[in-house]
Amino acid sequence: MPTDAPCPPDVLAGIADLELVARIVVEGLVSGLHRSPFHGYSAEFIQYRRYRPGDDLKYVDWKLLARTDRVYTKQFRETTNLAASIVIDTSASMDFPAGAVTKFRYAVIVAAALASVIAGQGDAAGLVARDAFLPPRSGRQHLRRLLALLASLTPGGVWGGAETVRRAADRLGRRGLLIVISDFYDDEQRMAGELRRAQRMGHDVAQLQVLTRDEIALPYGRDVEFADLESGARIPVNPALARRGYRDAIAEFLERTRSTALAEGRQHTLLVTDTAPERALRSFLLARQT
Amino acid sequence: MVWLHPVILFALAAVAAPILIHILVQRRAEVVPFPTLRFLRSTAIVSIRRHLLEDRLLLALRIAIVAAAVTAVAGPLLVTRARRDVWNRRIVRATVISGAPTASGGASRDGERVVQTREFRGPSLGDGIRRALEWLDAAPPARRELVVSAPLTIGSLSAADIADVPPSVGLRFERVGTLPAERTVSYGRVRAVDGSIEREVTLAGAQTSVRDRSAGDPKAGADRGFPLDVLAAPPARPFVDAAIAAVLGERVWSPPEAHRARLVLASTEHATAEVSAGNGDMQPWIADAIVRLTRDADLQHASARAAGALEEPRFSQAPWVTVARSRDNRLLIAAAASADRLVVVSGAPPSDVALPILVRGIVNAIAGVADIVPLEIVPIPDAQLTAWSRPAAPPPTPRIDRVESDDRRLLWIAVLGLLLVETWVRRAARRDAAPAHVEESARVA
Repeated sequence: MPTDAPCPPDVLAGIADLELVARIVVEGLVSGLHRSPFHGYSAEFIQYRRYRPGDDLKYVDWKLLARTDRVYTKQFRETTNLAASIVIDTSASMDFPAGAVTKFRYAVIVAAALASVIAGQGDAAGLVARDAFLPPRSGRQHLRRLLALLASLTPGGVWGGAETVRRAADRLGRRGLLIVISDFYDDEQRMAGELRRAQRMGHDVAQLQVLTRDEIALPYGRDVEFADLESGARIPVNPALARRGYRDAIAEFLERTRSTALAEGRQHTLLVTDTAPERALRSFLLARQT
Repeated sequence: MVWLHPVILFALAAVAAPILIHILVQRRAEVVPFPTLRFLRSTAIVSIRRHLLEDRLLLALRIAIVAAAVTAVAGPLLVTRARRDVWNRRIVRATVISGAPTASGGASRDGERVVQTREFRGPSLGDGIRRALEWLDAAPPARRELVVSAPLTIGSLSAADIADVPPSVGLRFERVGTLPAERTVSYGRVRAVDGSIEREVTLAGAQTSVRDRSAGDPKAGADRGFPLDVLAAPPARPFVDAAIAAVLGERVWSPPEAHRARLVLASTEHATAEVSAGNGDMQPWIADAIVRLTRDADLQHASARAAGALEEPRFSQAPWVTVARSRDNRLLIAAAASADRLVVVSGAPPSDVALPILVRGIVNAIAGVADIVPLEIVPIPDAQLTAWSRPAAPPPTPRIDRVESDDRRLLWIAVLGLLLVETWVRRAARRDAAPAHVEESARVA
């Protein structure tokens, strides 16, 4: 009997075949979407958008400026293939929690699903990680290569997020879509700077922030000694005493990341690993359609 | 409250173990890998103190478990009034039987509840009483009674046997069966010329028969093994040897090894100087021997016809005791005690017939032969049995290892209960420690 219930993340994480995982996620995902959530700068006019620094002046609607004294740029549906590059965080901080669906595995599933959606539209999808690069191309063969590369990635060490984003933006070439999947625990200023730079280069930038419920709520009961997954540093903490301060701090961090992204015209979506990937991606894609 | 093994209470020091374990374990927090520490602040000191407070219940439970277990092993017993009443209402009876089995020895009497009873038979009533007392000592708490069921003839039971029975043990005597027709007893050893002889006496009604049996001591007849040492001048020696030979020919009682005597013939000038006496401390057997000598009718009769006398005045003074006087009523024989032997001095001429009579008297006196009259088959008088009888007293504080039911089981039940509570508390704490989804879920989703 068919059911609309999304497949749980732990079930998906247990399937080794990433192509199959991507297909499962995409099948549950695209049923609710009416048209392509990814659109570039095409000749087909779609909508007006408030001008942002860095926008090409040739898309400014001067007549509208003359009538309303407001600067709007015109957005077009691109008739040519969209070039999307997925940047995935492979730092050790993504290898959490142990013994459950890690953030990294969740990010890989999301990336595979997104690549499948993009490739399914006939657009080009590429992948950038710390030590891996696959330029955006279309076609099933390329998608298989991308999924194979995704499956071969392992988390560990530090990521160098800003440098990776810079490299991805530079190699994306013409204006395209840059999807960054990370927990964004890197240097906030440098990362935001690189993302802004990518936007100035004309790329559409989307941030998918992946976190676990434990990182948000700090639900530990007894005394623990937290060990940093990247640096190895340790601090003893009584969660009962530290919980309030921690929750406030991480909530502030999430809000800062989200508001900064939105203020600068980047799409930001928080993905929690106990949420079904279809559900999380649907909210992301629906936000892109509006 | 009494304890079975109070020494084990020292093991209560083991309650320090859970405290130490608690402290040591709490100082090692679990290491949890975490993506970033940038939002965390160290709370190390507070955390340890807080845990000590949080786990106080668990610590108290573990201490209680150890304490209860140690206390249970130590074996407590609450001696309550109700428990004492129960013990006082019942009785443990040991019946010592001699002769034919009895039907009444182990029977219950009015209103008493006999919880244990046992019969003891043995070669003698004294042996049976000893074994019965050992069994009664190991019996559970109750009034203890010893029943002697026998013909109860004189000699079968002595006052010493009764004195061994603790005052709290009741005594009852039941005269059962018939008196034995005869009794054969060993009646000491006698010396003869041809060796040592065991003497056995059989008492059968008015007839008494004596049977001698060689004890196999060929040298017993020689002067060398003779218990009497005679100091006499060489001219008197033949008379002495003749007297000893005459005595052995007549047979005399053989005294114990430690009973020795010395006879000094004071009529000889050489022997006089060797006479000495002790410091006045007299051993009981020497006193008995002197008394027997003074009551020896043959000796008194022979002395009264003898000449001679002990001229030295010191023999008339303490510690010397006059044994016999001569025909002219002068001191003839005196006795005293040295450190280890009886010393007798005689003023009679060695050639006088009083000498062999004196030698026989001395040897018989130090032999101390028991009176044969108590060995006759005569029942112990009822008055004596009544005097020995007494009711069983309430049991003294019982030894807990003899108690059928004590309070250990309550403590073991308490230990089990505490273990269950400890397990429940520990699991509850573990559940609390497990990651729990909190209100952020809704906000984030």
